[in-house]
Amino acid sequence: MALRAAVLRHIRLPVQTLTPNASRAPSQLSLLRLFSSHDDHLTKEEVIDRVLDVVKSFPKVDPSKVTPDVHFQKDLGLDSLDNVEIVMALEEEFKLEIPDKEADKIDSCNLAIEYIYNHPMAG
Amino acid sequence: MGASKGQKLSGMQRQVLSLYRGFLRAARLKPTEDRRQIESIVSAEFRRNSKQVDRKNFLYIEYLLRRGKKQLDQLKSPDTIGLSSCNVSSSKKKC
Repeated sequence: MALRAAVLRHIRLPVQTLTPNASRAPSQLSLLRLFSSHDDHLTKEEVIDRVLDVVKSFPKVDPSKVTPDVHFQKDLGLDSLDNVEIVMALEEEFKLEIPDKEADKIDSCNLAIEYIYNHPMAG
Repeated sequence: MGASKGQKLSGMQRQVLSLYRGFLRAARLKPTEDRRQIESIVSAEFRRNSKQVDRKNFLYIEYLLRRGKKQLDQLKSPDTIGLSSCNVSSSKKKC
């Protein structure tokens, strides 16, 4: 009986602490962000490293030219079709699906890093 | 059509890139070996057209977009395992 009470208290505690948070959350999105912070969210450094690795491994890219500040088409000599391929490769690396509207805007390492770092589902 | 160099994209260019993205997404759902083959055929076809088709030839580009969308729908079917079963290849023959 004492054990049962102890277990119940333990189960109830996290629920009670969560409820006020959930009701305060203004939108679905911030709720997602709240959940994503439970598991270890990617650090900025990790995002930068992995984005640069994906870009460097792209066949047409000279890896020595790749820095967080490069523009895919202006600095790396890629065209808009390559740009699509790189963004698709980033989607796979971080297990995301980037909608067309967003994907069209990502044309540099910096924008890719920002988008992925701010994405709650990036893994 | 001329692959663009970072300037603002026209609506038609966005449609082409969106179609290309659609093909690459559909290819992901196929077994690895088929996927590589599909990707190389699709990529070659888009690049060939981007060099050969005049960027002002809107009617022809619209035709290619329509044809591409139909082919993409075919590719999306789980029964389609490769592009040998549709006419995306650079030749225009039906197969």
